[in-house]
Order: sequence, then structure tokens, then C-alpha cells
Amino acid sequence: MENHANPGKTLMILTSVLVALGMLLLYSASRSISTIQTGLPVYIKQVIWAILGAIIALWLKDFDYRHWNKLAHALYFITLILLVVVLAIGTGRAGRWIKIGWFNFQPSEFAKFVLIVVLARYFSIRDVQRFSTLFGGVLITGIPFLLILIQPNLGTAFLFIMIFFAMAYLAGAKGKHLLILLIAGILMSPLLWMGLKDYQKQRLVIFLNPWKDPLGKGYNILQSKITIGSGGIIGKGFLKGTQTKLAFLPEFHTDFIFCLLAEEFGLIGVLVLLFLYYVFLTQALRITLTTQDPFGRLVGTGIMVMFIVQIFVNIGMASGILPVAGIPLPFLSYGGSAMLVCFICVATLYNLYKNTTLF
Amino acid sequence: MEQRLKIFQQFLRFLLGLLLLQCINLQVFHFSYYRKLSDQNCIRTIDLGIPRGKIFDRNGRILAEDKTCFNLVYVPYDLKNPEEVASVLSSIFGMDRSELLTQLNKKSSNPFERRILKRSLSQSEIAAVSEYAFKLSGVFVQAGLDRQYTLGDGAAHLLGYTGEVSQEDLDMLKDEGVKAGHYIGKYGLEKQYDEVLRGKSGGYQIEVDARGHQRRILKEIAMVPGNNLVLTVDQIVQEACINALGDRSGSIIVMDPRNGEVLALVSKPSFDPLNVRKYLVSPYSNKNPFLDRVIAGQYAPGSIFKIITEIAALESGEIGEHDRIECTGSMEVGDRIFHCWKEEGHGWVDINLALPFSCNIFFGTVGAKLGVNKILEYAKLFDFGKPTGIDLPGEKPGNLPSPEESGGPVNIAIGQGAILTTPIQLCMMISAIANGGNLWKPFITRKIVAPDGKTIKEFQPTLKKTIFISEETLTILRRGLKNVVKFGTAAGASVAGIEIAGKTGTAQVAQRELGLPTRGAFACYAPADSPSIAMVVVLDEGSSSQAARIAGAIIKKIYTAEEVRSETTISETQETQTLPSGSQGFE
Repeated sequence: MENHANPGKTLMILTSVLVALGMLLLYSASRSISTIQTGLPVYIKQVIWAILGAIIALWLKDFDYRHWNKLAHALYFITLILLVVVLAIGTGRAGRWIKIGWFNFQPSEFAKFVLIVVLARYFSIRDVQRFSTLFGGVLITGIPFLLILIQPNLGTAFLFIMIFFAMAYLAGAKGKHLLILLIAGILMSPLLWMGLKDYQKQRLVIFLNPWKDPLGKGYNILQSKITIGSGGIIGKGFLKGTQTKLAFLPEFHTDFIFCLLAEEFGLIGVLVLLFLYYVFLTQALRITLTTQDPFGRLVGTGIMVMFIVQIFVNIGMASGILPVAGIPLPFLSYGGSAMLVCFICVATLYNLYKNTTLF
Repeated sequence: MEQRLKIFQQFLRFLLGLLLLQCINLQVFHFSYYRKLSDQNCIRTIDLGIPRGKIFDRNGRILAEDKTCFNLVYVPYDLKNPEEVASVLSSIFGMDRSELLTQLNKKSSNPFERRILKRSLSQSEIAAVSEYAFKLSGVFVQAGLDRQYTLGDGAAHLLGYTGEVSQEDLDMLKDEGVKAGHYIGKYGLEKQYDEVLRGKSGGYQIEVDARGHQRRILKEIAMVPGNNLVLTVDQIVQEACINALGDRSGSIIVMDPRNGEVLALVSKPSFDPLNVRKYLVSPYSNKNPFLDRVIAGQYAPGSIFKIITEIAALESGEIGEHDRIECTGSMEVGDRIFHCWKEEGHGWVDINLALPFSCNIFFGTVGAKLGVNKILEYAKLFDFGKPTGIDLPGEKPGNLPSPEESGGPVNIAIGQGAILTTPIQLCMMISAIANGGNLWKPFITRKIVAPDGKTIKEFQPTLKKTIFISEETLTILRRGLKNVVKFGTAAGASVAGIEIAGKTGTAQVAQRELGLPTRGAFACYAPADSPSIAMVVVLDEGSSSQAARIAGAIIKKIYTAEEVRSETTISETQETQTLPSGSQGFE
């Protein structure tokens, strides 16, 4: 251990670097010729969020992660209420937000962290080898999953399934059981399909086959590939991107921010970003491996899975190997709720390491 | 668990590797391809708009349909020189140059999207645009859809109009494929059946050259046509009403009293459904062209309401057929003097004469005997004070007052006081007299037909209720209504060969005394002994005898047309059968 740098500190440094990179990209994005801006430019708003996130992280890093275990039930309950509320009064794109004054609060972002904590608690106190335990986990995941699915926020709902399976697997569930659940889930999906409204079905169909909508999503995918590809190896240069400046993509400061990086900094930028993420995730893995407490280990696992899925789905979508799903790129995409959750996760990992080394 | 976490690490490497490979693929191997596309900024999308179904009259005549038109569009990104473009266009179209320039320079969320600058260009305008094409980079002529209305402003209240979707509607409709700039139904049947008529938009994803001109089509979505409507309305009757009303302000509703089918609905002043903006005046003005007077004009029914008073009086036995009352031209009600419209009075009259002469003293006296509750009870039986439920948006309920606020039995008995009715309510009422007490819900749409000709939904007549009126009462009332036209207040309405039964009514009597115009109305049905038509004519400024003459002229036209038509029944059936083939919407 001694000849390695403190992984908790490494995480903190990496987080700062990634967030700074995000600011740079958002600054570039805000110089777009055609974005109709209201109020502050997005990069300024993002700075505010990052500062707020950093304050929370600095406080939470000394907040014993085992407290999350005690808070799990309450957090889960509050999250469910918020998810119901957002369905009733939600505003904004696809009705995912609750507007509180100037703050657009997005409960589904926080729900990700809460799900991780609740599942970690559940799997750490039950016998995961039993199928009934696994089934309980399905119920715990299923309720928020459905509430998010009908928003509809397909990307985050998918993320929930991934978190569940990865955590169950790493908690030691039998492969056979997981396979049964997977098959059951696939068999059940037509039932879910019938319960969906027409426009929700439409979105799912376009989600799975964007070329059905060549003037909308299909156009986005083509433009996003052009944007990445035209960056080449060295990129067009900072602030010199043409694609993103011309608003080919409607959400390039949120879901498509990767395109901006790829266009202006080219393959070199992509390599740097993927390397940063790789180091970040291996440090998270090291922390998780050194943790002996089952609850802590599962929390670490869940956070890791969350980051990996988000990174893979977001970049996979932008580069055209996955369907378009509204999932933010950790630390980079514009969005207050997502940013705060990222900081909470980093602080939790830091605390995990701190408490582990005390043993 | 350690084991599994190690597997996990492999998995992480694999996923990140996959992303890297794809980026290398795009940024290294396909770099020149994507860089070229990016340099040229040459991908555009073209939205052709939402096609709408056709609207047919009951005999298969087209009342509304989409026609291909040519619109002037521009792509903000491709506008190299907005000043020059604005100058050229302003000279071609006579549009204001600075206004054009503001429009062209407007910031947009997607500068590659085609925006419509002017709809439905004429042939000469298209020629002029292509002549100056070299000065108009970024401006194009693009095929689009334009709604055509056969009867123009004559059926504007019936059919309504379409317009660009508003931001609020967009939030609700975007899940149905409606995008900004699309047209949806805003008024009349176009609004009522918007979901039925609306098809799905189509368009292209195209590659363009440096000047923004199409090089090739990359992707295409075909339009999906909307469903068609077949109405109960008869174009010939509708036209007869339009012509008979002329430039007068008022309304006409014609219905089949046997089932509630609306044959014609006209309201004036009207508006051009293709140029709605020109008619936007204060909605509170009584000249408001967007007020559908048939369903939303709420007036005192005047003497037409005496029908209700008569039914109430005879059915309750308050008065017999031959009971006579002397009309001296005025009577005292409390401390007020109540006048008959005939100053010297009608003398001794019974109900058989009182109705044709519309004697206020007779009905006022009867009303006083009946009491306000009894009269309002009968008015309620005929569903006054409630919307009829016709399939048009914006129907008003009129006003059926409480006894305390009614203005007293004498006023109510002659249709004055606080009671307000709409022409459609009066038409439903007179239909019930014609058919012996059945209150049919008025309806305009007979069926919804798919673009391939399959009937999706057929609307059946709806019997709201049957009001019991004794045979004796009906006989007396109907005879009285015939006499109104034979020798009474509507003598001008009589048509040779067709017996008409009806009742005149004049609202705003007080205004007449002040020398202001009155609102004359006539409610009738014909032929009197086997009615197939019920009609209400209301003139905003005119006498009731003028209204009656208009009704007579319409009835004459309908029945002469009917004779002509019965000879061509066979060819019409064929027309109806072949109707769906021409209805694929936009091609």
C-alpha cells in the first residue's frame, strides 16, 4: 500500500481535472452562433454547480459512509415520493425535473445513488445465494425503475437494471439465478410494452432504431458521427469546432458533449479523456478491493458500475454504436443534479478508503 | 467477490477499448469522409408538413382538401447575404424590406432547418424567384400543402381553419409527431376533429451543394394521410343559405327534424379561412367575424318562445282552445304598462289567432296565469340553458334564468326578460314540434373514413329525450304555426306548393322604440305535414318578416333543387362510392 499514492486523493485530483475539462468544453459550447441563451451562459452555471458540488464533497468526505447504511430506508422512501411528484408536476424535456426556484431538480439522478446505497445494504445483510433474496432486490429496483421508465427516461431506467445485475453479481449471487432473472425479464417485457402509451412506444422504437426518424434522432446520430470523425487525430483546435458551433446537435452541451471534445481535440483528446476515466475507475476499483466491509464494498461497486455504464452508454451513443439515450457523461455534461451526484459519489469513495485504512 | 471484481476490471478495459476503437474508426479511418461532410455542412432536413384529410358534404362534394402549393422557404445558414435577399424579395412580393430582414436575421435553434417565408406562391411569383435565383442564395421554392375550402368564407364557421401550432399546443402534441411550424386545426370542425383529420408529416434528409441546392436524397419518410370526414351538411343547402343571407349580419341553421342532421350552418359576418389574420378585430365587437352566431350567439328568443308558452298553457289546461282574451294594445303589470306590438290592439282573440298574430297581450296574460315556474319548467324540458352538444367547439349554453331573476311571467311568456337562447337551441326546439316531441341532438359529422375508403366510425343520430306533448296540443300548435305563414306575421315566407309552419320573433323591442335596429328571427319547418327541414334564421339587424322571407327563399331553393337532384340519384351513388380513391392527401 505504502508505495502507492493515496487512491482517495488521486480520485479527488482526477475529479478536478475532469470538471475543469468540462468547463473548457462548455465555454466552447457557449460560443455557438445559434444557441438562444437565456440568463447566464452554461459554463458559468456549471462553475456554480461545481463549487457547490466541491463544498458538498469536502463535507461528505469526512461523513462516515456507514451512515448511509442507516439512512438507506429513509432515502429510498423520499426518492420514491420525489419520483411520483416529478411525474405529476414535472417540467422540462420529457418532464424529468421539478422546478424549485431557479434550480431544476432532477430526482432520477439522485435516485441512482440512493439505489446503490439501498441495494448495498440489502445484499450485505441477506444471503444472496438464495433466489428469494435476489427477487427482493428485483422489487427494490423495480419500483423506481418503473417510475423512471414512464417519465419516460429510458437511459436512466436501463442504468438501474445494469446497477442491479452488476451489484448482485459482485455480491456473490449465483450465475444461474441471474440468468433466470434475465430471461424472465426478457419474457416479461411484452407485458411492459402493452402498458406503455403510444408515444412511449414510439420513443422506444426510435430509441432502438433511430433511422425510423431520419429527420430527428437519425439526423442527430449522423451529425454526431460527422462531428467526431471530422475532428481527426489532432482536432480542429479549441473554440474552432464548426459542427458543434453550428448547432447540428440540439443537446451538445449535455448529452453530446463528447462530440465537442472529439471535434476540437481530436483522437488525442479522446485518448486523454478515456485515460482519465480509466485511471479514475481503477482507483475506485482499488478502493473497493481494499474494503473489507461488505456494505462498503457493495457501495463502491455500485458507484463504479454507475460510472462505467454512463461513460460507455454516453460515448457509445455519440459515436454511433449504441442507440440514443439521454444519459449524461460524468463530470462533463452540463447539469446540476448530475454534477452533485458525481461529487457525492467521489466523496463516498474517498471516505470508503479513509475508513478502510483505519482498520 | 475478489475474483468477480477482477473479471470486472477486464470488462472495464474491454468497454473502454471498444469506445476507443470506434473513435479511431471514425477519426482516423473515416476522417476524410467526415471532414468533407463537415466542411460542406451539407446535410439538411426538409419537413413537408402534416397532410390533412378531406371533408365531404353528404353527397360526396369536397368542402375542404389539401392542395399542393409552392412555398417560399429559406435556410438561415445558407443565407449568405440577407440584405440583398431582402431587397430582391421585397421588390418581387411587395413585402416590407426591413420586416423581411428582421425575419431573415432571426436567431434560430437550428440554422439548417427550412423555414417558410411565404405560403402559396403564384405562378408568376415562382417565375420571378427563379429568375433572380442567382441573387437569392439560401432561398428556395418548396412544395407544400395548402388547405382549400370550396365555399370560402361561406362555411368558415362550420369547417373552421388551420393555423401554425402554438407553443402551448406543441407541448401537448409533440408526442403525436407535431413539430414547430406545423399546421393544426384551430377552429370549427378542423379543430373538433383535428386528431382525426391530421395525418403524419413526411420529409427528406438531403445532401446539398455549397449554395444549398439539393444534390441527392439520403433518407425519406413518406407522409401518412389523415382520415376524411363525411358531413351531414348538404352543399346545395349551405349555398342557398349563403346566397339568401347575402351581406347581412346574422345566422342560419338548417336541420333535418327527423334525426338532428345539420344540413347547413351559416354565420355572418364571416372570415376567409385562408387569411384569418386580416379579420382579427376585438373579440368584444358585435361585428366579430369569429363568433359563430348559430352556436355561440345568445339572444332573447322573443316571440318564438310563445311556442313554449302555448304548450305550457294548453298542456296544463290553464287555457282552452277557444278561451278568448281582449287585446287593447296594452295591459298593466304591477306599476308598468305592457304593450302589444300592435298599438291599436288585436281585439278579442283566442289561441288560434293569438299565435299567428303574435299577440303579446294574449300570451302575457296567459303567462301571468301560468306563473313563471310553469313556463320555465317547459323551457327546461326543451333543454334551454344547456349546450345542445353539437360537434363544434365553442358552443354556448344560453341562459335559463331562475324564477327570481327571470323578469316575471309576463316578460318570460313572450320571450323577453332574462332568458337567452342560441339559434341551434331554437332549431332543436322547432324540430321537436315538427316531429312530435323528439329532441334530437344536432350533429354535423356523419362518418369518419380512412384514406383507403374504409369507414372507421359512423355517427348515429342521438335522441336526447322525448317530450310528451298531447296530440290535441300539437294539432292546435301546428295549425297556429301554419297560419303564421298563411296570414300571420310571416306571410312573406309562403312558397307556392310547399306549406311552411313557423314562428317569428323579435328581440330588443325596447331598441325598436328608440329607433335602433331590431334582431328579427324566424323558426320554421317544412313541408308542414311531413317535415324534412327545420330552420332558424336570425338577422342581427332586421325585422322578423325579413327573416321569414329569407327562410321562404331558402326553402323554395331547397325543394326545387331536391326535384332536380332526385333525377340524378344514380350518378350520385357512384360518386359517393368512388370518393375515397382521390383522397390520398399529398403525393
